[in-house]
Amino acid sequence: MKSWISFLLPNDEYKEKKMLYFFSEGAIILLLSLIVMIICNKYFNLDVETVLLAALAIFLFYVSGRYIVSGIEYTDISTERAYRKELRVIFIRTIRFVVIFMALYLIFINVPTRLDKWFEILGLLISISVVWFLSSYISLKRSYKKNKELL
Amino acid sequence: MKNNVKITRIKASITQEQLARKIGVTRQTIGLIEKGEYNPSLQLCVAIAKELNKTLDELFWEVDTK
Repeated sequence: MKSWISFLLPNDEYKEKKMLYFFSEGAIILLLSLIVMIICNKYFNLDVETVLLAALAIFLFYVSGRYIVSGIEYTDISTERAYRKELRVIFIRTIRFVVIFMALYLIFINVPTRLDKWFEILGLLISISVVWFLSSYISLKRSYKKNKELL
Repeated sequence: MKNNVKITRIKASITQEQLARKIGVTRQTIGLIEKGEYNPSLQLCVAIAKELNKTLDELFWEVDTK
């Protein structure tokens, strides 16, 4: 079936179907939340920026959350050895991201001169890295568990 | 949906990974089909049948045993 959304979907039939469900569920939840926000707007004065950010966050968190817990990301990880190897890859990838981000920031933006600026940038970087690592770890763990049951 | 994919694949001495690679899906998808947890499209059923040298009937048709 041809659709403009095809470029966002994986080639594997099962994964493609799952992703279509996640996008559809996300769209319905987004629609419902927008209706709720329209009703709320009659009683409270909602800021446009807040509403737009909330709408974006609801859709992105829902779709990525469902993808992570569904265990369909690491389809070939079914042995303890492969699991440990992939975990190491995720860890190295996170460290690499931290190093590259910090290097690019210091080269192209600026070197923070005050201590609070250092805390600000390091706090942001550590938060992103932890979220990225944890989401990949949960996805890997769920995929491994699912794949083991299918052997 | 119950099917005979797993038993046929084992008889043909093919691993899930090999079958998956040959028909262009993931190993997880083959595992799900074998367990009856995912109903493949007709196109995928035909690809599996061709790869295992069986007919669709032999792999996917349910026969009542009374």
